[in-house]
Amino acid sequence: MPKSSKGTKKNVATPSPDIKIKINGTWHNFELERDITPTMTLSYLLREKLGYTGLKVSCDEGGCGACTVIMDGKSVLSCMILAVETNGHEILTIEGLAKDDPIVEAFAEQCEPGYGTALQCGICTPGFVMSTRALLDENPVPTMAEVKEALSGHICRCGCYAGIAQAVTHASEKIAKKGEAS
Amino acid sequence: MKQPYTPRPNSNRKFVGGYRPRIDAWEKARGKVEYADDITIKTRFPDMLYAKVLRSPHAHARIKNIDVSRAEQLPGVVAVMTYKDPEFTSFRPTNAGWTDGVDTVSYDKKMWADFNDRRVLGDYACWVTDEVGAVVAAESEEIADEAIRLINVQWEVLPFVLDPIDAMKPGAPLIHPDMTQTNVLPPEKMGGEDVFLDKGDVDADFAKAEVVVDGTSIHHNATQASLDNWCCLVDWTDEKLTLYSNSYEADQSRMHISEMLGLPLHKVNVISSYVGGQFGRGDTGEQPFFLFTAVLSKKTGRPVKFKHTRRESFHDSRQPAIYYGKVGAKKDGTITSMYFKSIGNTGAYADHSIFALKFAPLEISEVSFAHIPNVKLESYAVYTNKLPACMMRGVGNSQFNLIFGHMVDLLAEKLDMDPIDLCIKNFGHEWETLPNKSLVEVLNQGAEKIGWREKRNKPGQGLIYDKTKRRGVGFSLHPAWHAEWQEVRRGHIPISITLNPDGTVILNAPTVETGTGSNTCNVLGCSESLSFLGITPEMIHWNHVVNTDTSLKDCVQTDSAVSYLQSEVIATAVEEIKREIFERAEPVLKTKAKDMDIVDGRIFVKKNPDQGLTIKELLFQGDLVPIVVTRSRLANAEKTGVPYFANFAEVEVDTDTGKIDVLNLVVINDCGTVMFASGAEAQQVGGQVMGMGEALTEEIIYDELTGVPLNFNFIDYKIPTMADMPEIDPILLEIWKGAGEYGACGIGEGTLTCTPRAIMNAIYNAIGIRINDIPIKPEKILRALGKV
Repeated sequence: MPKSSKGTKKNVATPSPDIKIKINGTWHNFELERDITPTMTLSYLLREKLGYTGLKVSCDEGGCGACTVIMDGKSVLSCMILAVETNGHEILTIEGLAKDDPIVEAFAEQCEPGYGTALQCGICTPGFVMSTRALLDENPVPTMAEVKEALSGHICRCGCYAGIAQAVTHASEKIAKKGEAS
Repeated sequence: MKQPYTPRPNSNRKFVGGYRPRIDAWEKARGKVEYADDITIKTRFPDMLYAKVLRSPHAHARIKNIDVSRAEQLPGVVAVMTYKDPEFTSFRPTNAGWTDGVDTVSYDKKMWADFNDRRVLGDYACWVTDEVGAVVAAESEEIADEAIRLINVQWEVLPFVLDPIDAMKPGAPLIHPDMTQTNVLPPEKMGGEDVFLDKGDVDADFAKAEVVVDGTSIHHNATQASLDNWCCLVDWTDEKLTLYSNSYEADQSRMHISEMLGLPLHKVNVISSYVGGQFGRGDTGEQPFFLFTAVLSKKTGRPVKFKHTRRESFHDSRQPAIYYGKVGAKKDGTITSMYFKSIGNTGAYADHSIFALKFAPLEISEVSFAHIPNVKLESYAVYTNKLPACMMRGVGNSQFNLIFGHMVDLLAEKLDMDPIDLCIKNFGHEWETLPNKSLVEVLNQGAEKIGWREKRNKPGQGLIYDKTKRRGVGFSLHPAWHAEWQEVRRGHIPISITLNPDGTVILNAPTVETGTGSNTCNVLGCSESLSFLGITPEMIHWNHVVNTDTSLKDCVQTDSAVSYLQSEVIATAVEEIKREIFERAEPVLKTKAKDMDIVDGRIFVKKNPDQGLTIKELLFQGDLVPIVVTRSRLANAEKTGVPYFANFAEVEVDTDTGKIDVLNLVVINDCGTVMFASGAEAQQVGGQVMGMGEALTEEIIYDELTGVPLNFNFIDYKIPTMADMPEIDPILLEIWKGAGEYGACGIGEGTLTCTPRAIMNAIYNAIGIRINDIPIKPEKILRALGKV
């Protein structure tokens, strides 16, 4: 089983059979073959081995966005990345977001007339939330065209795109407000 | 800022009908909600095995010989079983459409009892990827996959047929030769004869009608594409069997397993949590994989998980239908005769094919064509070697609307009449004189929102934009389903309410939540009913897990009806709760129950309102035992008709490239009563993704030479994304009203039904050319314009 080693610094200079991945702020050490096989995807490692089931694996080939996590600040499809490739990198899953994360809040609260909610069955939602997080970190006040561009790699079969777009706008406003307050 | 809907005058509701977040919104936004695949991970079931099934590489084949020895020798393989094993030879033949989900049925009461065309595990495959021959259980999915590859099969490859018209011809390869001598499904009791409605005399009327139009439409087999791939874990390691799954009908799953495995019901426990999208997939819930996974668990003595890959999730689809329609009318627009004939590509297994082709159109004709004297409906469901087709959101209705809306547009043009006026003049149910109030309001509101009168052109005479683009508008109309009277087949609908001593509530209104929002509707309905106790939605906990050992029977998410059915039952449970409260208050207030009242959570003596106490004070005085009321009743059978809904579309067609841009969609639903406005609008807006996908981009493509499906993936099967969707205006109305406290009607399932036809009529309005087979890809536009 993976060992958690909080606070350990990554050390890429020293060759080591171990793989170190920082997940939601904590460094984890893995042993090749025992914990991580060469063909194991990041989504498999996170879900099946570590229990981060917030990300979903639906297509397992980069076509739906449900498995999106953030790697070094950028949104990535965890089904398209091998676990070994993340050695020394920093991964953020939806479990790593704060309880009062403004994006989570905005997705949950979305209900104003004319757009519907930002989620229905909810299976695609963590992916959308993580991509939104990466988008707003880089571009805090995106235009609607930029929102659509950033989130068009995600499928919501319930079709909540209009509600999601609203939620992203509201999240952006919330972040701006928090910034003013602090 | 968009405007909220206008509630019925004097409805005075506190909670029902509100704009608010879903009750599960926070958990879902945080990724905390657990679906079947999350619950059944290895860390929770350390000794579980993974099952895989052999799939046919041929469109039509029989196993001559099977050798599993190499698979058995692979390290990590725990069991390999074949169709020859007694566990499988002893299964009765079955199908995957025992019920449409409305009611729970046993083997003998299967909806399509005549079509026992599936084997749990047989030697015969009738489409590429059919489950056949052998199953394995292994320590990992990779090992299980490898074991399947090591199975050596000698196939007897048979001739195949993909097209239903070809399959009807004499000499065509027979898909189920052991059952039928023709590929056309024989008439049976649920769907009726080939001509399943013959009112008046359409032929005589066509001969004398002043105006006659006819035409065709073709709907394809789109797929539901729930992101939550079907999966299950079966633990049958002792005499009791436990099933975790994302099937949406827990009680029916229990019945299916009990009947097929010969287990008493109390020895089968089905546990269902949230489902990540359903869209009709679950109606084929009697899937063989539940049974072979169970057999593997028994055989290995370990829990076994089976999960579809995305490719395998394309195992079920909308029933494709080729429709021919003919309509006769007087010059004043009075329709005197309607004739519709369909040929449906059933695919490899019958499942619910007849539901789509006969059951649904018959219902539509009853509620909408009641005033038309001559109506004839005829249909042929045809087996082919394609993937099985049956239930998808808007089953049968989407296909029927494609021809119905076509006939309306064609006839209106020939009569030089506005199609809105034509609909108002002709369509309505038998309990009401025309015009139908709901229909009139739906069409008028839609027309106003889209700008019908300003934007509707003469066909092909639309204004030109950017030199090559023309714009047009179109609509399509459909009767809604389902009102309460249409839900009687469901049987008793149970709920239970637990009033805790502190005044909070546990609501057991069991249903497997698939995203429809019925859970929020029920909590709002419960707070509305219990508002005399001062209860708000935040004070109610709704139980989301259905566990057949401990839950009441689940009300299945079909017909979009759960949004109000359970709330209607909750409304009738209130008197019982009041009675119990008064009974407990009698010794405390030393007053007879009849002399007490409750307002805002305070129980008091009517003659002396100062003498009283709060519900919390009352319940905390006693033994702290909650008040529990369990109630079940049948749906109210009072025939109240149904309301209407419609979609209006504005499109822009580039006549140079064939590209279609949908500029605006307006979705109008008369709901009877809006139970949860944000949820209802989410269904209206959301349905357009599926409707527009079916109309323009989604299509399963086969290699005609081999029958191999080519795009069972999300890269090549094109589902619209955020970048593809236009502005959508949802409009909710409360015009019609059914029986009961709310008198609501399902809306979610239908919201995509009119979308393809509305877009097609708009395309015709823009460029003056009718393309009647969907999806309408650019090449079809260019071909129609003579440019390729």
